[in-house]
Amino acid sequence: MNSLIVFIILIPLLSASVLGLSYMYSIKIQKVPRVFFTAIAVSAPLASLLLGVFFFFKMQGETKVFYYRAYKWLSIDGRDIDMAFMLDALSLFMVLFITFVGWLIHIYASGYMRDDDGYGKFFFYFNLFLASMLLLILADGPLIMFIGWEGVGLCSYLLISFYFEDEGNLKAGNKAFIANRVGDFGFIVGMSILFFYAGTYGFDYVHLAQEIPKVPTDILSYAGIALFVGAMGKSAQIPLFVWLPDAMAGPTPVSALIHAATMVTAGVYMVARFHFLYDLVPHVGLYIAYVGAVSSLFAALIACWQKDIKKILAYSTMSQLGYMFIAVGLGAYSSGLFHVFTHAFFKALLFMGAGAIIIALHHEQDIFKMGGMRHKAPMLFFVMLIATLAICGIPPFAGFFSKDEILLQAFAKQEYLLWLFGVLTAVLTAYYMFRLFFIVFYGSHVNTERVLHPLHKSITYPLIVLAVGSIFVGFLGLPQVLGGDNLIGQWLHDFAQVKPLHVGHTTEFMLMGLNVLAACVGIFIAYKKFFTCDLSIEHTMRGWAADKFYVDELYEKIFIQPYKILSQFIGNVLDLKIIDAVVMNSSLGFIKVGRFVSRMQSANTNFYALMMIGGLSVLCTYFLIVLE
Amino acid sequence: MYPDFLYIAPLVFVGFGGILLMLLSPFKQITIRMAAFIALFFMLCATGLYFYNISELYSYYPYAQTFGSMIVADNYSAYFSTILLAGAIFTILIGVHYFEKNRGFTTEFFSLFLFSLFGMMLLVHATELITVLIALEIASLSLYVMIGFQKHLDKRMEASFRYLVLGSISGAFFLLGTAFIYANTQTTKISQIGIFIQNNPQSDVMLLIMGVCFIFITFLFKIAAFPLQNWAIDVYDGAPYPVTAFMAGTFKAAIFGFILRFVLVDLELIIDFWDNILYVVILLTLLYGSFLAIIQQSLKRMLAASSIVHTGYLLIAFISIDITGKSAASSIIFYLVAYFLSSMGAFGLLSYISSDDKVRITYEDFRGFAHIRPYMAAMMSVFMLSLAGIPSTIGFIGKFYIFVAAIESGYTLLAVFGILATFVSIYYYFRLIAIMYFYPSAKMQDVPTLHGMAPYFIGIISLIIIWGGIGNTLITYFPGVDFLMDMARLAYDSLQVK
Repeated sequence: MNSLIVFIILIPLLSASVLGLSYMYSIKIQKVPRVFFTAIAVSAPLASLLLGVFFFFKMQGETKVFYYRAYKWLSIDGRDIDMAFMLDALSLFMVLFITFVGWLIHIYASGYMRDDDGYGKFFFYFNLFLASMLLLILADGPLIMFIGWEGVGLCSYLLISFYFEDEGNLKAGNKAFIANRVGDFGFIVGMSILFFYAGTYGFDYVHLAQEIPKVPTDILSYAGIALFVGAMGKSAQIPLFVWLPDAMAGPTPVSALIHAATMVTAGVYMVARFHFLYDLVPHVGLYIAYVGAVSSLFAALIACWQKDIKKILAYSTMSQLGYMFIAVGLGAYSSGLFHVFTHAFFKALLFMGAGAIIIALHHEQDIFKMGGMRHKAPMLFFVMLIATLAICGIPPFAGFFSKDEILLQAFAKQEYLLWLFGVLTAVLTAYYMFRLFFIVFYGSHVNTERVLHPLHKSITYPLIVLAVGSIFVGFLGLPQVLGGDNLIGQWLHDFAQVKPLHVGHTTEFMLMGLNVLAACVGIFIAYKKFFTCDLSIEHTMRGWAADKFYVDELYEKIFIQPYKILSQFIGNVLDLKIIDAVVMNSSLGFIKVGRFVSRMQSANTNFYALMMIGGLSVLCTYFLIVLE
Repeated sequence: MYPDFLYIAPLVFVGFGGILLMLLSPFKQITIRMAAFIALFFMLCATGLYFYNISELYSYYPYAQTFGSMIVADNYSAYFSTILLAGAIFTILIGVHYFEKNRGFTTEFFSLFLFSLFGMMLLVHATELITVLIALEIASLSLYVMIGFQKHLDKRMEASFRYLVLGSISGAFFLLGTAFIYANTQTTKISQIGIFIQNNPQSDVMLLIMGVCFIFITFLFKIAAFPLQNWAIDVYDGAPYPVTAFMAGTFKAAIFGFILRFVLVDLELIIDFWDNILYVVILLTLLYGSFLAIIQQSLKRMLAASSIVHTGYLLIAFISIDITGKSAASSIIFYLVAYFLSSMGAFGLLSYISSDDKVRITYEDFRGFAHIRPYMAAMMSVFMLSLAGIPSTIGFIGKFYIFVAAIESGYTLLAVFGILATFVSIYYYFRLIAIMYFYPSAKMQDVPTLHGMAPYFIGIISLIIIWGGIGNTLITYFPGVDFLMDMARLAYDSLQVK
């Protein structure tokens, strides 16, 4: 029965293989109808989702954690590493919303990509991504997790440079991959430290959690920071965030699935998964929280000056991820994961809505060239309004509860600076999101007779489902002060070993009010500036924030240029002048000796026989001498 | 216990197949393809018989009354015979195309092929020196004829005669060595020689040591080690491709099959006498082979020369036997499998290509081959990578085991030399890959067309090679390298069964 866990991963993997092969068949031999790809691609996440639901009901019973060991994968110094999987409350939680949101995005993508030649290939990558993500989550140890970790990185690369005819996309893909590799290096280092110090009895979470208290704290700090570097890469935190905005080069469903709802949350998940480690080193946790807070504010600032609708959303993703890291850094894992959960809904909705707008406007991404969409696409207007309200944290939309919980945690732990960062970000978030909203839907549009591209049902329906989700999923984590049970918190209680909050109900209400107020301030400023925005005049964005604080340029100067100079030195001087010269000369020497040796190869049988007998004589003489 | 016949049945099958084909040879209705399938049938039957008690340790003298204890059936002989049969089966499967396309092959060729295989199988079953000689000569004589089978080609005849003359000399040495041993110990049975060595002081076994020297000379000759390697290039080059493949992979395995048994059962106590000699032999073999291989222009000669280097690698493990018997012996056995697969693939592919167009002989002829025949070029690259011992191929694992055995036994310097020889080997193996992929094609018109089953079997070999390199890390249920290694260890254990 437990083996069913594997099928959660295997089904998307299998369907990915089928899709890949049929795509190859389709381009090489005979065209495969699109409906075939659609059927397979869309049913795979659904099947995984149903399996997840099945386990959800199983988990109501006695067993709370399911293990399945498929086979022994590696044996290192007598320590076995099994290809094993674990399904507990946390991983099930992740599986459920990833497969659900993923499923919706698959449906959406089937409409979004319907005219693309690489339809089959796209879904091959998509399903492969889903399989990797699920492997990352269901792994029972860091090493298996790392396979999934790399898998999502790879799929992300493939999908960002999906339109590989354009060199810019390729560069964006490369950037994402390289930035992630830097993070992966940290992950490998952290993993190795754990393996070395705590992996004696097995390299899975259960054994690690038992062993880890014996490891000295400073070692644990290094491990914790190194692992977090991995999370920085995946979850786009300072300083490894540069790839995320560029990653918007991929098709919009990719941005929705990978760069909003799932992959970027891998870092948060990883920190929560290693909670046994981070619980022991609170100072590392605090560091994580500050990185999250700074990233959050930083991204929000940049977002206020962007023009590209997808870039704005990308920076908002980074900003929201910052919130999540504040929470997990402070040990409030369930709060962070709650935000991951609600964020998956409203951010997927935002991206998919943006994608729908982009499609409708014939691939226009500049918000200042949109305008007046309210009357032209009322459906999009409503779903985007819901999503925008959700991300700004207006009750009762989903984002409010989760964001409020995070800020409450920060306040309760007397990390007022973090709290302040959070509130400032909330203001900015409300500002830039409503800036986007007002310009796109209310701005006096430039081109009145522009005809909208019709939207397929497969695009609109998932939007509605997600919109409903964005309204209501917040209630799953309704705090006790508002009469709720905080179901999410209860479900993840193992990961929420937070000391009872020393905050009175009054304070809690006040904080809530303050959050709403902060959002309202942001909305108000945006309203003032952009509600009646005239789009016929040119809007140019200048200043530090519009140029993303020159981080890309800085990295170019600090890392990329010296690296290029070094590699040119190695390539032109070290390799050509020194190593090549030695190798070439010695090989010439070898060939000369070889010519000499081959003279013995005279094709003269008598000579060969002579050599045989000579050899025997030498041998016998030697023995005669030795045996004396 | 199974009936005695079952133990010798594989030998009987192969021998009977040879006789049957000989009797069938006057009939012109028997085509080459039919003859090949008859041979295959008998070999497959024989192979199947080795699998009935694969995982159980046994050592049994069948028909002890009739044969004395001249032949034994144990895991060791079964393992080696399976390697030999696999080599022979692949040779036939890949070679059929070549035999059909080239003039001069008849049904008798397959008869001789089975006789030669019979000789090799008998060689690994034999536990008595005269039987060994007979087995060796059955195998060699058949090979002499097989090499020169295309009588209209001078090159073949020359190679055949050269091998005949030199092989006879080495056979004479073997007989002389046996005579010395008999004079000393009054026995030619392998296990009793061992007992004699145990029970007598060293001063009484001098003659025996000299006798073993003579036998070693034959051994070094057959595996083409320095200073007895000269014939190898000329003969390998002169022989038809499938026969070359058969000699390089399979015959070498059979010779090692015998000599390992001889050393492990008999000579364990006195083997260290040969260490110094072997040390020098290994160094010179590696050097000579590398130098020779590096200057060859013809691919066939390059492969022949590099087979000398591979002999050197095998001897590195062989010298380690006296200290780490089990791991060294099993690493030799494993390397034999790895080498037989890689060389079989390379020779087989060359034979396939050259049977259709006779121009592709040298490196230069393969310019831009990858653009014309991408799959074949990919397979050839796999074989080259495996021969060079690049990770993710079985050749890497084979070399790895050998060098580990050498280092464990304290022959670190030899391991270093082996690795250096590997560096050099990358030059001549990768040169082909580079020429196939990175140079524009000189003659685009000579494209062999894909037909027949040979390419598929060559493809299977290349897959096995990759599977052997990475398989066990992917799917553990399916037998891979570990399985081969476990079997090799079991084979070693069966030698110790009294």
